Amino acid sequence: MIDEPWTLGAESVIYKIERWGQILLLKQRPKKPYLLQAIDAQLRQSRTSRECKMLNVARGLGIPTPAVHWVDRSSFTIAMDYIEGTRLRELVQDVPPKTLEKLCVRLGRLVGLLHMGDVVHGDPTTSNVIVDRIGKMWLIDFGLAEMNATTEMKGVDLHLMKRAFETTHWDIQNEMLDAALTGYKQTLGENANSIIVRMEEIRERGRYH
Amino acid sequence: MSIVCLGIEGTAHSFGAGLVSSKGEVLSNVWDMFSPEEGGIHPREASRHHSDLGPKIIGEAIEKAGVTFENVDLIAFSRGPGLGPCLRTTATVARTLALKLSIPLIGVNHCVAHIEIGCLESRFEDPVTVYVSGGNTQVIAYAGRRFRTFGETLDIAIGNMLDTFGREAGMRFPAGPRIEIEAKQGRNYHTLPYSVKGMDLSYSGMLTAAKRLHSEGIPLNDVCFSVQETAFGMLAEISERAIAHTKKKELLLTGGVARNNRLTEILRGVAKRHDAKFHRVTPSLAGDQGAMIAWTGILQYQVGDVIEVAESQVLPKWRTDDQDILWRGE
Ligand SMILES: Nc1ncnc2c1ncn2[C@@H]1O[C@H](COP(=O)(O)OP(=O)(O)OP(=O)(O)O)[C@@H](O)[C@H]1O
Ligand SMILES: [Mg+2]
Repeated sequence: MIDEPWTLGAESVIYKIERWGQILLLKQRPKKPYLLQAIDAQLRQSRTSRECKMLNVARGLGIPTPAVHWVDRSSFTIAMDYIEGTRLRELVQDVPPKTLEKLCVRLGRLVGLLHMGDVVHGDPTTSNVIVDRIGKMWLIDFGLAEMNATTEMKGVDLHLMKRAFETTHWDIQNEMLDAALTGYKQTLGENANSIIVRMEEIRERGRYH
Repeated sequence: MSIVCLGIEGTAHSFGAGLVSSKGEVLSNVWDMFSPEEGGIHPREASRHHSDLGPKIIGEAIEKAGVTFENVDLIAFSRGPGLGPCLRTTATVARTLALKLSIPLIGVNHCVAHIEIGCLESRFEDPVTVYVSGGNTQVIAYAGRRFRTFGETLDIAIGNMLDTFGREAGMRFPAGPRIEIEAKQGRNYHTLPYSVKGMDLSYSGMLTAAKRLHSEGIPLNDVCFSVQETAFGMLAEISERAIAHTKKKELLLTGGVARNNRLTEILRGVAKRHDAKFHRVTPSLAGDQGAMIAWTGILQYQVGDVIEVAESQVLPKWRTDDQDILWRGE
């Protein structure tokens, strides 16, 4: 019934299946043989339940996320809606600058919405953003998301987004960041400032001074 | 004709001098590590160590290579990142030599040098590099003419974390080797905070919790075991993310903490899972030493990346991704 994986994530194997005339996506977190068994088991378990929960929490905050259909805790698998579309990571290379700017503003708004609800995504890269056929933007991959987020946690989240632009879209990283922060400020208003300052501070840490 | 570069390293606690030829032969590599009786490194004391021992170390490097100063064609030095006082002492030595011998001066990025010497040894062309030391914890890969930091620590470096824990447990600096020995005897895993954020990680929460376990009387070997499994597990995860993301087929482990056999075993497992080749840089080339500076100096020299003495100010916060890597292709 389940055949070849459809794709591989960094920590997951993704299958596409058909159920009730609908295409679903199975995200399974396989064992990592190089980790201590106790740590691995704990991570697979906590990230699977966290992802289910946070996909729903984020949707409650107004962010389009795939609906969860069921969870299999024994195989650490989540069944969710398949979102047909293109990842932002690939779109970046194909769209004209104006469109890219609009997309990044919208990404910034979505991240802002999450943060307004005191939620951080935990891995806000362009691989985790899907734009569907009608142009709606979805966020996926909530295994590292957290609630009750502090300014520090939100600052880290923005830092990670910036980092993703820098490593993956280096030639247009500044344009992308500016646009995303514009969208972020549109959602969060005044409150955005202290978080953006924190984002910059975080970058300077962890190194010599 | 082969040229010879004298590389001088002195970004933190070690001072080193090494000679490397443009054929990639390491002719000599001499260093000394400043190891205070207690406590961590103090920048001023370390820089005094460098100025006291520097001339002798350089002399030894020349002698061991079987050459004289007249045979040296280039001087390369670690320009950053690092501790200000240490960098300045090192730069002064390098400038003096370059002026005296009237040969070109090359400013090398310490992190880039770790990668390039690792590539020389492993013959890797385009690896994901895991660079772990007392002051650095970074996952780096080449993309768009720069070495880019895909992941790093958000607070303290892994070596610093191990040393700080070790000090608490009464171990001498550096504590990494002792912790590894203790950990081998450990059997019981005690949960410690596992903190991965995207491709970054954080060790400070783990360190606090490990100190607490120790003060509560949990056997030292079990705490060391738990510290290693947790800290290396996080590192493995961000390395795996970087490999999955970049689709590169080589994984290079370098820096002082690369000596750890358990870390090596874990990262070898990561590489295997992604059909990537794995290489751990030999200890003599993985720590802070002059040969890596010399080799990178040669690579830079070959593309004209040379500096004037007047413009050779040190760069304590020089980011890995702040240098155009002219000697590598697209
Ligand atoms: N609901 C979905 N609809 C469509 N595609 C999806 C969906 N969920 C995941 N994908 C695809 O699968 C890929 C991996 O999924 P996901 O990001 O959730 O896994 P991961 O292992 O956490 O990934 P990584 O750590 O590599 O970001 C995504 O980049 C996306 O292309
Ligand atoms: Mg993902």
